[in-house]
Amino acid sequence: MVLGAIILGLKYLFTRPYTRLVPEKERPFKTETTRGKHVLYMDKCTGCTMCQRVCPADAIQMVRVEGDWKRNKKKIFPRIDLHRCTFCAMCVEVCPTGALAMTDITGWELTTEDKEKTIYMPYELSEPEPPYRITVSKNKWLPPPPFYSKKKLIEKTSNK
Amino acid sequence: MGLRTVEIFLGPQHPGAPGNVAFKLTLDGERVVDAEVVPGYLHRGFEKLMEYRWWEVNVVMAPRFCVEDPDNFELAYVLAVENLYGIEVPEKAKYVRTIIAEMSRIQSHLFWLLFMGAAVGARYIPSWAMAAREEILKWYDYITGHRIYHHYLVPGGIRWNIPRDFRERTLKVLKFVNKIVDDIKKALYENKIFIARTRGIGILKPQDAIRLSATGPVLRGSGVRYDVRKVDPYEAYDEVEFNIPVGEYGDTYDRCLVRLKEIYESMNIIRQLLDKVEKLIDDKHYRYKIPLVAPPGEGIGRVESARGEYIVHITSTGGQTPYRIRLRTPSMPHLTTVIKHIVKNEEVTIADFPIIVKSLDPCAPDLDR
Repeated sequence: MVLGAIILGLKYLFTRPYTRLVPEKERPFKTETTRGKHVLYMDKCTGCTMCQRVCPADAIQMVRVEGDWKRNKKKIFPRIDLHRCTFCAMCVEVCPTGALAMTDITGWELTTEDKEKTIYMPYELSEPEPPYRITVSKNKWLPPPPFYSKKKLIEKTSNK
Repeated sequence: MGLRTVEIFLGPQHPGAPGNVAFKLTLDGERVVDAEVVPGYLHRGFEKLMEYRWWEVNVVMAPRFCVEDPDNFELAYVLAVENLYGIEVPEKAKYVRTIIAEMSRIQSHLFWLLFMGAAVGARYIPSWAMAAREEILKWYDYITGHRIYHHYLVPGGIRWNIPRDFRERTLKVLKFVNKIVDDIKKALYENKIFIARTRGIGILKPQDAIRLSATGPVLRGSGVRYDVRKVDPYEAYDEVEFNIPVGEYGDTYDRCLVRLKEIYESMNIIRQLLDKVEKLIDDKHYRYKIPLVAPPGEGIGRVESARGEYIVHITSTGGQTPYRIRLRTPSMPHLTTVIKHIVKNEEVTIADFPIIVKSLDPCAPDLDR
């Protein structure tokens, strides 16, 4: 009935608004797993370029950083364009040494008026601005998922 | 084409158009005589883009055909890859995936309620539906890490383990959604203005619906009891009990009612599966890592998405990337043949046209992809 809808609408009129004032009164909604800006541990990176190869958005390129790097003989580190990044965390998953991780810095905290500022160089990635917390790191896949046995695979494919 | 008819262009920015898609309408006075869809505003060439990425990385591309119902689209790709590799996933992954897909169906129908409410002029419905959907998006953020595109289902299982309070969180969300959907049912579906604007218009008879390859709630609204979840069960759908709601007359109201009933059915499915997940909460066995190189062959993934039947067909020549991917998306027949059929066989006025289009629930990105 129409009257019923009006009464129901009036009931909602006096409830607390569901929307929130961001950033005036509250910070944006985040959880312990929200995927955001990366962190690069430069002492762990070996410059294997796996993150560059796996990135579906072509957001990662390797750049040379001078210095005395014990594990990184080629002296190349990932540079990430957060304008292209889809925050899928494939780079974190594929990194063999756990040099990349993700924080919950996201949303309006990454907005900028200058498009060139969206490219983050290795040194900038290694020191994110606090406050932040690490949400996705290599620990998320501990213990690593078992490899699907080749024997099973061959059996299945030979049946086809 | 006589002197009396006028051609107008509806969309892609028109509020009555369903997203970024346009219609070329032929009008005779107020009556719509012919409707031609003009797609292509959102074409991004996904089928081609997916040919250059690894099997597992394509999961990032897979949900982007449809903003409103990402997980069913992700699931179809994942099922196709598993079919190609010949993998069976762990039991825990199977249940969690079904829950994620059903939650996606609920949020898609809630998103549709927003547009339907706006189309009939019930301006209070959009804000209620969005509040309910927002709660689901927060739940997704907690489980998967993202709000809209989750990248959570991967070939071989789920990407990471579920949190320990999975059951409590999900039940809390369902309770909130249930309350709002009950209110929407009272305020919209029992409202005589809504009934007057939707009953008896846009009729699609069962034999026509089958002939025009309509699927999903459009087909079920016409009274055909067909659902991929029942006729070809995938994942854990053969282990749960649920009904397939069908319409009586095949008009706009029936299609709307089928979607509302589906929300309740989906919540019912999730509640049944939560008990099974709870028993496996300590199980660390949730994913297989698949080999980088796929065996040569073909794979098919077939799911019932919120809009209808969605099929992914992939071909592999034994490489790191797919050779070819073909997608069968549900919105294409709805916007091309079905809308044309309705307009030709019935006196549809220009005021009713957006309501009929919206009741078919088309999705512009999945039309263009």
